[in-house]
Amino acid sequence: MELWTRTLLANAGPVLEGLRVTMSVSAIAFIVAALVGLAICFARIYVPPLRRLLGAYIAFCRNTPIFVQLLWVAYAWYDLFAWPTDVFTAAWVALALQSSGYLAETFRAGFESVPDGHVEAAHALGISRFTTLRRIVMPQMLLTIAPSLMNQFIVVLKCSTLVSVIAVPDLMFQAIRLTNIWGEPVPFFTFVAVVFIVLIVSLSAISKKLTDRVHARLAA
Amino acid sequence: MFDLSLFWDYRVILWQGLLINILVFVLSSGVGLAIGLLACVGRLSSPAWLRRISAGYIEGTRSTPEFVLLFWVHSVMPVLLSGLVGMRLHFNPILSATIALGVVSSGYFAETFRAGIQAVPRGHIEAARALGMTPPRILRRIVLPQAVRIMLPELMSQNIGLLKTTTLVSVIAVPDIMYQVGIISQQEMKPLPLYTGTAMAFFIVILALTSLVDRVSYRLKRY
Repeated sequence: MELWTRTLLANAGPVLEGLRVTMSVSAIAFIVAALVGLAICFARIYVPPLRRLLGAYIAFCRNTPIFVQLLWVAYAWYDLFAWPTDVFTAAWVALALQSSGYLAETFRAGFESVPDGHVEAAHALGISRFTTLRRIVMPQMLLTIAPSLMNQFIVVLKCSTLVSVIAVPDLMFQAIRLTNIWGEPVPFFTFVAVVFIVLIVSLSAISKKLTDRVHARLAA
Repeated sequence: MFDLSLFWDYRVILWQGLLINILVFVLSSGVGLAIGLLACVGRLSSPAWLRRISAGYIEGTRSTPEFVLLFWVHSVMPVLLSGLVGMRLHFNPILSATIALGVVSSGYFAETFRAGIQAVPRGHIEAARALGMTPPRILRRIVLPQAVRIMLPELMSQNIGLLKTTTLVSVIAVPDIMYQVGIISQQEMKPLPLYTGTAMAFFIVILALTSLVDRVSYRLKRY
């Protein structure tokens, strides 16, 4: 117990700061990935010339290890595009890159689950295409894919632990740094593992409940 | 725009690194499948305490980030074990990687096994029992042939995921492909060609594997 108070409690400040960085990297990456994924999904449906290119983009995002993508974005992109200029940006860009590919497919599945008749009915009523998308398609689509979105957020949160490798001061980075200073790996790494397990178990429980409610709602 | 010649120049070292990835993959997949099978049997067994422990184990391992567990196994487990046996232990990085990735994947494997076994209709088992087949024979002749067919696609794609995850092991100094890429990039002071080349190489290999799995799954699902 003395070991834990001496190491972990004494360094609560940097540890909490690390947790905050973990949360903001994950949140930014997920929001960007969702927006990009949605844009790609609709571009694939409504802009046929882009279909092949976007298909290749999705295949690349889904079939490359996240760790390889992260290092590629962090170390090679600056030479290619002169961007991103700091590691925090590189971190969320890499995480968003990976998830946008998965989310584009999720959104497409959601889009395809909306019955054609609803779109045709909106058309027959003279509702414009944009309004149809916004008022008829999107609400049904988001309801169906809500659990998958939640699961993808869990994936982003898990992968966000990797960003410590490119020196983003997240929770894992602080754990490694403090372990090196104090020479006590047990409290720091165990704490980080427990934090993530508790966070992810609760998020999965919410996701499961959400799935049940969506199923009940769709069955009604 | 791309000058990937550096990637080609170091192909032998990179190839050796990739072989380490494959080694770690094979070892951790074996460990994961074995523990996963045990956890699945525990989850489906009759004693409630065993069911609860197995369910907790599966839920816990599925919720642990691989990267965190990798560090935990490599630096915390030896300390705890040293206290237990009373002498100083150190884990070989490949051993740590095998344990960590094996444990993380076992939870996913266990759920796949369970889904496969539970997908076999109860009527088939009851019919076999009515015909007087013994339980081991029912498992071997009725349940497994159907269950394996159902779980094979999912198992294959989970193994591809595991292969992708093996790229992480360089952080605990396993000399895998990313480890070599890091060292060479620092020596040459040119990160672009190696990181880009490796990303492309992984893309091609994993895409080929994924397409293969998709094709096999399609054929399995026809029956």
